[in-house]
Amino acid sequence: MLSLSVRQISRKLQDGVIVPSDVCTACLYQAEKLKKLNIFVRLTKEVAEHQAKESDVRYTNGNVRSLLDGIPVAVKDNYCTRNIETTCSSRMLESFKPPYNATVVQKLQDAGAVLLGKCNMDEFAMGSGTVDSIHGPTKNIWQSGEKYTLLRNVGERATSVEQVQGCNSTHGSKMVYQELHHLSSHSNKEGSSSPSEEGDWFIAGGSSGGSAVAVASGAVFAALGSDTGGSTRNPAAYCGVVGLKPSYGLLSRHGLIPLVNSMDVPGILTRTVDDAATLLNILAGHDLLDSTTVQDSFIPLDLSQDIDISRIRIGIPKEYNCPGMSDEVMETWSGVADILERAGAEVVQVSMPHTPSSIACYSVLNQCEVASNMARYDGIEFGLRTAENRSTEELYASTRSQGFNETVRGRILAGNYFLLQRNYPHYFLQALKVRRLIAQDFTHAWSSGIDVLLTPTTLTDAPRYSQFISRDNREQCASQDYCTQPANMAGCPAVTLPIKLSKQGLPLSLQLMGQSYREDVLLAVAKWIETAVDFPRLQLET
Amino acid sequence: MHRLWKHNIFLEKFWFLQQNARSLNSKIPPTPIVKPIEENKLPPRTKIDQKTIDLLERLSLVDFANKKGIERLEDAIRFADQIRVIDTTGVEPMISVLEDRTLYLHDDIVTDGNCRKEVMSNAALTEESYFVAPQGNIPLIPRDSLLTEDENLDQK
Amino acid sequence: MILLYSEGKSVFTFALPALLIRAWTCRNFSVNNNDAKHFLSRKVKSYVSPTSTYTTETKFKNKKQSYWKSVVGLEIHAQITSTSKLFSQAGTEFGVPVNANVSFFDAAIPGTLPMLNRRCVEAGVLTALALSCRVNPVSFFDRKHYFYSDLPAGYQITQHRVPLAQEGVLEFHVFTPGSHHKPYSKKSCIKQLQLEQDSGKSLHDEEACRSLVDLNRAGIPLMELVFEPDLEDGEEAAALVKELMLILQRLGTCSCKMEEGALRVDANVSVHHEGEPLGVRTEVKNIGSVRAVGHAIQYEIHRQVKVLEAGGVIINETRAWDADSKQTVPMRDKEEKQDYRYMPEPNLPPLRVLLNDQPAVPNTYRDHINVQCLRRKLPELPSETRAKLTNKYGISPESAAILVNENVLLQHFYDIMEEKKSRDPKLSTNILIMELLTILNKKKLSLEASPFPSHTLGEIVDLLQSEKINLVTARKILQEIISGNSMSPSEVVEKYEWTQITNPSEIEKVCTAVIEQNPKLVEQFCSGKTKVFNSLVGKAAKITENRANMATVVQVLTAKLRKIQNP
Repeated sequence: MLSLSVRQISRKLQDGVIVPSDVCTACLYQAEKLKKLNIFVRLTKEVAEHQAKESDVRYTNGNVRSLLDGIPVAVKDNYCTRNIETTCSSRMLESFKPPYNATVVQKLQDAGAVLLGKCNMDEFAMGSGTVDSIHGPTKNIWQSGEKYTLLRNVGERATSVEQVQGCNSTHGSKMVYQELHHLSSHSNKEGSSSPSEEGDWFIAGGSSGGSAVAVASGAVFAALGSDTGGSTRNPAAYCGVVGLKPSYGLLSRHGLIPLVNSMDVPGILTRTVDDAATLLNILAGHDLLDSTTVQDSFIPLDLSQDIDISRIRIGIPKEYNCPGMSDEVMETWSGVADILERAGAEVVQVSMPHTPSSIACYSVLNQCEVASNMARYDGIEFGLRTAENRSTEELYASTRSQGFNETVRGRILAGNYFLLQRNYPHYFLQALKVRRLIAQDFTHAWSSGIDVLLTPTTLTDAPRYSQFISRDNREQCASQDYCTQPANMAGCPAVTLPIKLSKQGLPLSLQLMGQSYREDVLLAVAKWIETAVDFPRLQLET
Repeated sequence: MHRLWKHNIFLEKFWFLQQNARSLNSKIPPTPIVKPIEENKLPPRTKIDQKTIDLLERLSLVDFANKKGIERLEDAIRFADQIRVIDTTGVEPMISVLEDRTLYLHDDIVTDGNCRKEVMSNAALTEESYFVAPQGNIPLIPRDSLLTEDENLDQK
Repeated sequence: MILLYSEGKSVFTFALPALLIRAWTCRNFSVNNNDAKHFLSRKVKSYVSPTSTYTTETKFKNKKQSYWKSVVGLEIHAQITSTSKLFSQAGTEFGVPVNANVSFFDAAIPGTLPMLNRRCVEAGVLTALALSCRVNPVSFFDRKHYFYSDLPAGYQITQHRVPLAQEGVLEFHVFTPGSHHKPYSKKSCIKQLQLEQDSGKSLHDEEACRSLVDLNRAGIPLMELVFEPDLEDGEEAAALVKELMLILQRLGTCSCKMEEGALRVDANVSVHHEGEPLGVRTEVKNIGSVRAVGHAIQYEIHRQVKVLEAGGVIINETRAWDADSKQTVPMRDKEEKQDYRYMPEPNLPPLRVLLNDQPAVPNTYRDHINVQCLRRKLPELPSETRAKLTNKYGISPESAAILVNENVLLQHFYDIMEEKKSRDPKLSTNILIMELLTILNKKKLSLEASPFPSHTLGEIVDLLQSEKINLVTARKILQEIISGNSMSPSEVVEKYEWTQITNPSEIEKVCTAVIEQNPKLVEQFCSGKTKVFNSLVGKAAKITENRANMATVVQVLTAKLRKIQNP
């Protein structure tokens, strides 16, 4: 049951085959069972059970609120949830209980969804592996040692079943976890709270790793992540789920603790494209509390009609083949391009010449905004506060040094460096200009008749933890975010969908990018591809 | 028609699963086009001096922690230097993708505030109804220069 | 002269004595010059203002015979009068309990975002128009970063790069009582007008070595007006502030209550030798009243000159005005320059206003702020009122300035003139400025507490204009009414028989009587002591119980005495 899509489980609830409380119980059980994956920072058991019960009543009385009513979901731990700790995986906010709900969280609640828990993430969303967290890293469910089967569909019903034992690969030497840990950028003086497990697992991707694994593992049916440079799409790709980054300004950021205000978007993680559309329809729309949401009225998506793919023009930007991209990813990219062509779509190569500069440009804008956004963490109104009381400067400095990990501190220092009066024109202002050039690459593509762009999401399948932490956070982000980052620069919507499994048995995904506020076209094409490739559903053994 | 479509999809899938790496779709570039920028084209690598360290620490109220922190900053600057060689003459900075939109203006009414308890619910230290801060404007105590960290270690 | 009014009106009290002197020397009554000069039944004390202890001269010599020039540029923060804050919808009332008017955004709770208040933009535009500024059709918000306990977000949202309006001008008159300068007109150019957030308040608890933070004020909307350094001294600055306050109060965009912190003036002061480049400037803050503007700047100029003449240097620093010790003292240490690292505020798209009556920009669904529309709504500005008073009513510029400075007086004036168009505006003005204010002063009453409605004052004007009474009687009437007599002026005159004696034959009789009763004085006068004339006049006044038309008395008495001298 837990591997069903939102649509499917919703139908069962409507038909009365099951009740929300049962679904909730099953999900909670699943979440508990998968504790060692470290998906959740916090399971909100009481809240979930209470919400599920209320949903039971609604189904009985026939006043169901939406397709999402009674369905367990999870949100990344950087969404403010009233009176529930929202930590951003940082010491700074370890005990922070927001006095309000983020708008998108409230919308989920109003739609009747059941909040199962808050998901693990990289500290303050800075990272691409969900390894830099005070709660410890999150592990990918794929090849994690958990036993699962893979189900394939042809049409709507599962007809062929492949039994696959997911197990640890014996490839590579075993490295002791403790030894590995000191290479990571998390410098907690007290020592890490790492699990004493041995074995080298695969990362979930980041920074919304917890949310991605939550969906992939069946603990929830949908989850919210956030996407600034690929933080939703990256883990979605590694975990084999659908990751949607909507257009900037479509969903409200009120209550989403920001990383880069001019690029952050709430991300949607689901198992199918239809589900992503369902969530989008519930969450999108102008919010008075967020001045960066667009005021146009949102027209809900309807993907019920199959798209005529022969009328679609697909762009392949050549600059997206970057050094370090694996053969498997290349093959996947090529394979889907072939399928599309054979079905009659027009596939053309395009050039987006400023793509290689995107990541450097992003690094400047990101660090500058971080330096600014983090200025509020001083311990006076909220958050960690050390005992230092000699002066405000000493208190702030001490609180911030203890509350932030090395990555965060490093970005603050770099950001302030770039914002210094003497450096501002050369770095920040220059980055803003380069940003326009990158955005113009997109507009040129659209104006030449391209409907969607097809690119890889990540360079490889999910890396092993040991391999991932061998490079520092900054270097990792630079390569991991290569394909995903430009969409954030331009504000365009982008979706990643799993295509097939790699030789290691890990998901390989591709990304589609579309014109701003044209999620209708984007998701329609995504749905077509999804049907064509029939990526196996992961069903954990009970 | 529907059955035919389904049959087609099945074939597609089959075909897809059999694909091998040797023949990529013609639109996919077989090799990476991107070339790293040559070192000599970039401006000289920035070295952070003590004055800048002090300034940044004071402005950020976050410390570099160790020499590695300084190196990390220098690396970050180096990485960012890549954009300096891009020709942006005549290009306007793009601050927000919503630059053509206009700011929504709210009515002048009170719909917020009067929630002191909630506002202060997360403050670690309060006094009656006030937030509490130490006295301000006392400069940070200077400490040993991080630049000479290695030397000190050697001496020990 | 008892200082009655609150600080904001203090410039007026300086101006009054000077004007009194002027009023007497101007022909305000319908009497001839000679008579007015002689008739001085009231003595005006020469008033020494505290500012005269500092030099009011902008140039003065030092030992080396070179001149010092002082340069002053003002930065004024005005709290916009609105119901809710600039970027949040918490309330703005003064005097509410600690941390009551604080929303999550004001406390910088993570995840909260700014929302711009339309009223604040309108107020900014109105003010910009009144100050002849160029309103920018598109303006942006920026973050200004620094750490302070009253700044929860670690940055202030302001407008640094492209503010709401730029390049305006404020024209005002400078009065300097006690100095030899005649009142003159001065202009100060406005560099920019920007919208920004106010910070919270820190109360320093020295004993416990801590600060208590109240965020009620955090996020309150401010207009910052940055003036060019084109003023020369404290008086000019004080006069500028006074005029600005009049304008803002007329517009209703700021209450200007300096005691509540609604208007804050910072002054940048420097001195240099004539012909040399500008000197290092200091910033003077913590100025709590219009009067203090003048004092603080004058002190600072003086201090800088003293330091430089002694061979020292001026440091670029912030100094606070200490009203108790009447000096400026160093404030925050600004030795290390602050780099505010301005960055565009990413959570606020560009602010657009419509300059002309053009259709709205597509993609927007709310009413734009229409500048032309607001321009039409501009009320009459103080300078326009003053011009109207002098042009239409013919009163002197100084009197016009006093009326405009005091809204209550101005309203009285309008009421009096409206009621009866034939009333003499100059006479009316004098009754208001001289008689009304004097008696209120004596009784320690404010204008608002005055028991004289406009129509009563108008009646007195009528009585004087028709020569039914003289000025002394007018004062007696005012005294009666203020002591509780509820009769109208005419009724009072009736009752006490205070009608003026104008009948020439009667006056003849009186004068004859005076001459007969005071032979000694007459003798003295004839022998050349012309001063005793006043005493004779005084005797006549006494006989008639001050009811005689003194001008006529003087005329008749003079004639009689001349006859005696030259038979």
